[in-house]
Amino acid sequence: MLSQLWDLFIAFTRASNLGFGGGPAVIPLIQVEAVDKYHWITNEQFADALAVCNALPAPIAPKLGAYIGYLVAGWPGVLAALLGTIGPTFVAVIVLTNVLMKYSNSPGLKGALKGVRPVVVVLVAQTAVEMGFTSFPNLITWGIGAVTAVSLLWLKIHPAILIVLSMVFGLIVFY
Amino acid sequence: MVKDLWDLFIAFTRASNLGFGGGPAVVPLIQAEAVDKYKWMNNEEYADALAISNALPGPIATKMAAYVGYRVAGWPGAFSALLGTIGPMVLVVVLLGNLIMTYSQSPALQAMLQAVRPVVVVLIAHTAYEMGRKSFPDLSTWLIALVTVGIIVLTSLHPAFIIVASMLLGYAVWGKKRSK
Repeated sequence: MLSQLWDLFIAFTRASNLGFGGGPAVIPLIQVEAVDKYHWITNEQFADALAVCNALPAPIAPKLGAYIGYLVAGWPGVLAALLGTIGPTFVAVIVLTNVLMKYSNSPGLKGALKGVRPVVVVLVAQTAVEMGFTSFPNLITWGIGAVTAVSLLWLKIHPAILIVLSMVFGLIVFY
Repeated sequence: MVKDLWDLFIAFTRASNLGFGGGPAVVPLIQAEAVDKYKWMNNEEYADALAISNALPGPIATKMAAYVGYRVAGWPGAFSALLGTIGPMVLVVVLLGNLIMTYSQSPALQAMLQAVRPVVVVLIAHTAYEMGRKSFPDLSTWLIALVTVGIIVLTSLHPAFIIVASMLLGYAVWGKKRSK
């Protein structure tokens, strides 16, 4: 039992913290650990688990961790997998945030942040472009996109409302 | 303090559990909560959070929860935000995993996901726009953006390197005295 919890922790620490680029980059690494290395589940089970996680909101990697962790070792397994998935970067972010808050008035940090902000804008825009390639298969989806843009820019509607409305709309129109 | 923790929990529960499409889809929703609704920070500070998060590995939403939560209310705040981010869906996946597996390919769910995807794309583009309005004060920042686009399109260099390099550049160029 203890060795299983340790394996879960190590497997998810390795998968999550070698995967730069957020959840999607981590998925194939989790597959390598859970299917190829530790043989906790088969490829088909992994595909099923991924389908479940993709159907739900929230970040993918913690959901996969919870699912596989529970299969292997119940609730303690969930905790071990989650700790590996988010623990190290959670602490790292807080350490860096401390530095950021402590030196927020230093010219050096201000200069560094001035340099990095355009990069962040480009990275976020790139995410939109990449997701955009597969998200507009027909004219109706373009219409949804246009209505969303108008609602955000001029009507200042909260994004949560737009998401719920679009899903109701999809149920009526595409189903 | 208790109210801050509750606000963090609610904000991240709402943001994360309406983010269809994983971590990246959650980024604009956290911005709506942290910048627009609760005014915990401005758009530039939100961009700084994304810089830290993108420079580190692992899922992005939980890193954003750590940054925002810690800034607002220290360690308890970070845990409160984290709980909202992953708590509900961890429970759903474990307790209802098999049920959802039956429905994950259902036409009704696919219809809803098809309609929500364009919304997510526009939300993310809007986040880039909101942060971009204050992130390009002069020509040299446009140049940094242009070089970033070039690197992303032409090479497979990891974004973490671009983030660190641009910070070093910014420190060297603007870090002395005359930065404002």
